[in-house]
Amino acid sequence: MEDNILDVRNLNISFSNYGGTSKVLRDVSINVSRGERVSLNGQSGSGKTVTMRAIIGTLPRPPAIIENGEILYENQNLLALNRIERNKIKGSGISIILQDPLLSFNPVLTILRQMEDIVKYSDIKIGISRGHEERKKLISETLSKVQLSDHERILNSYPIMLSGGMRQRVLIGMALLNKPKLLIADEPGTALDVTTQKEILDLLNSLVKDEGLSLLFITHNLGVVREMADRIYVMQNGKIVETNSRENIFKKPKHQYTIKLMDSVPPLFGDKVIDVKNTNSEVDEIISVANLNKSFPIRTGFFNRITSQNHAVKSVNLTINSGDIYGIAGESGSGKTTIAKILLGLYATTSGTITIDKLNLDEQVELKSYRKLIQIVYQNPGSSLNRKRTVSQILSVPLKFSGYSNKMIKDRVNELLQMVDLPVSYSSMYPHELSGGQKQRVAIARALSLEPKIIVLDEPTSALDVLIQGTVINLLHKLKKQLGLTYIFISHDLSLMRNFCNKIAIMFKGEICEAGNTKDIFSNPKHLYTKALISSIPVISDKEESLKPKVTYEERSAVLQNTRTI
Amino acid sequence: MSYPKGQNFDHKKEIGQQRSLSSGQMAWYRFTSNPSSIIGALIVISVILVAIFAPLIAPSPQSAGSFVDFVNRHSPPSRDFLFGTDNVGRDIFSRVIYGYRVSLGLVVGVLGVAVPFGVFLGLLAGYFGNWTEFVIMRFTDIMLAIPPLAMALAITAVLSPNLINAMIAITLLWWTWHTRLIYRIVKAQMNEDYVEAAKVAGAGHFHIMFKELLPNCISAISVKISLDAGFVILFGASLSFLGLGVQPPTPDLGTMVSTGSEYLPEYWWEALMPGLAILYAILGFNLLGDGLRDMMDVEV
Repeated sequence: MEDNILDVRNLNISFSNYGGTSKVLRDVSINVSRGERVSLNGQSGSGKTVTMRAIIGTLPRPPAIIENGEILYENQNLLALNRIERNKIKGSGISIILQDPLLSFNPVLTILRQMEDIVKYSDIKIGISRGHEERKKLISETLSKVQLSDHERILNSYPIMLSGGMRQRVLIGMALLNKPKLLIADEPGTALDVTTQKEILDLLNSLVKDEGLSLLFITHNLGVVREMADRIYVMQNGKIVETNSRENIFKKPKHQYTIKLMDSVPPLFGDKVIDVKNTNSEVDEIISVANLNKSFPIRTGFFNRITSQNHAVKSVNLTINSGDIYGIAGESGSGKTTIAKILLGLYATTSGTITIDKLNLDEQVELKSYRKLIQIVYQNPGSSLNRKRTVSQILSVPLKFSGYSNKMIKDRVNELLQMVDLPVSYSSMYPHELSGGQKQRVAIARALSLEPKIIVLDEPTSALDVLIQGTVINLLHKLKKQLGLTYIFISHDLSLMRNFCNKIAIMFKGEICEAGNTKDIFSNPKHLYTKALISSIPVISDKEESLKPKVTYEERSAVLQNTRTI
Repeated sequence: MSYPKGQNFDHKKEIGQQRSLSSGQMAWYRFTSNPSSIIGALIVISVILVAIFAPLIAPSPQSAGSFVDFVNRHSPPSRDFLFGTDNVGRDIFSRVIYGYRVSLGLVVGVLGVAVPFGVFLGLLAGYFGNWTEFVIMRFTDIMLAIPPLAMALAITAVLSPNLINAMIAITLLWWTWHTRLIYRIVKAQMNEDYVEAAKVAGAGHFHIMFKELLPNCISAISVKISLDAGFVILFGASLSFLGLGVQPPTPDLGTMVSTGSEYLPEYWWEALMPGLAILYAILGFNLLGDGLRDMMDVEV
């Protein structure tokens, strides 16, 4: 145990808020040895980030109170150091990669300026002086380390001009600038597409190996952990509930919470996979989309003239039967949400015909009855529910505008709350008084209020923790059975779709590159992009890993190339 | 997938994780834990009470009119005349108390018209966008480009200089700030999914503007109003100072400073006391505004 680079011992932290104190960390002990990859796992609110911030010393105090415990870095207690000594360790000893690559940059400064500042100020701290050219050379070397080429162009860009993957790479480069010994990564890649995420994780792994770094990896995603950690800590409500080597945790998890977490990860292959079938007795075509195109004009210049077109959806053909759970999968910017908004009548089509429930979309989109045909559940209930309105006010909007009387509205609201398993007393609450899962239930209830036949689910679970995700999916299954609904499920989470959809279409740059029964697509993907996509999904067992389609590095880069440009 | 069948959602557990205070209590806690906002609220309440009960409080109510008492002219602050007397022997303390009536009347009159009008235009521009936005916002820009004093001069020259016309002049310029403020907030709110969700639910324009978007603007509006109150008093005072606003003998704080300043520095109290009264009210409104902002800005 002498060779621990980081040793957190019995850390207790509480927060004082509005007159009360709440305990956030209870006896947290973590150690990382030299060259080891350790991961800290848990749901949001479990105390992962508080631990991380205590280690790097950015906890806001007050409200945070460190009650007792030690944080030893190379046998030095960080909590006992004064500010100046501690700052010397920041960056040069311990470095951090934050979750959101866009929020971590200052948007009005170039990458060069931001990276140079890091070198400049750490030089001052350590007490050496370097000229502009020398600093630039170091920055260039670091960019090569994170596998970025064309340094000149990247350094002179502003953060907004880079793609998400590039930003994350630059961010990793920034963390490496002062050659730290311990790297803390707080959910890197979570905000990225799955194929980009894979590249970033591979990069981190090779860096840890080549540079001899130690890694403390903070995440909620168990699939990612399997690729990134030698040893795993599982955290729940501020306590470490289980710690073991990776093999042991994945083979035989001991604590109930760990088992629950494992079970809630949707499997990609194997016997646990659920093959969903269309259970409706009569199956007839409810939506058919033929040759749909949608382009958005790009206006530039002083007179706002249309200078070019952004072709978001290209020649899309879809057929959805009643009772289907039809998945539309794809990465951000692939056009899947555009299709949903066209179906809801929020965007006009550029060309193509859409038939919904045997009628042309254009004929019925302005009618009130159309709102009773198709409804939507949004990704983020924090944004889709007006935070200044109570649950009953939110639920009554669609009812009011289709002619329900006040008495009927009240009864219907109560009925809807019961349908989504919420107590009736919640009707007087405001959204911020509810948890994420409860909010999403309210959003589902709103979509159900007019008894639609079709519901578009736009990533309804991606803002939720994996355990809550399971309960929402169960609710959606129950409602489908009760009401005979048809779902259009838009998502980038392919392992979830494997278990939830009976049909799936894979979108890539505005086109559907592959569509069919979910089972067939996953067992035998034909398009190279589909293969690349499926092979990038983090899974939680070696067996599943071996069943993924094999894609070589060259094939991957060939198909993804065009999406990686500035 | 292996979610246990019929797994029920444990609501009690989820409620247990919530904070124990309701949002109202939390806001009240934030407000009261900030000493400056408490002081601000007390000052504003005292000003309002003084204005309402002016005839009961003022030691010499006749001083508010064209009362003349040459024996006591220019007497310094004393027990009889707390703030001293002015050039015709009127009690300045009584005149300040009545002056608050005029000032608060100005605030209520100006903001009562300018705020609803400005907020309405801001909502229209932000919600509809396109041509509506272009017309409303460019008109607002034009109105903002007119120097306020030049506008007031023009209005009172065409009409006649009195309190009502001063109010009209201030109102004509004041709504622009509210339009801009609300326009910006609504523009930002339009990106939130709840606006689109309301459209999908079949809600009308009127509903979305006033029931969905307006509640999200209320905190900004109330903060702006409390800050405005101070500025309107100040602007009214400067109009009176120029002789464009309230006409003598009606007691107005601005006019009192203006006439008092002629007798500086010997009879310093004649300008200083009404000046301090203006300072007191503005300080109160500004502290209250800051407190309200702190209270409402934090998303719980």
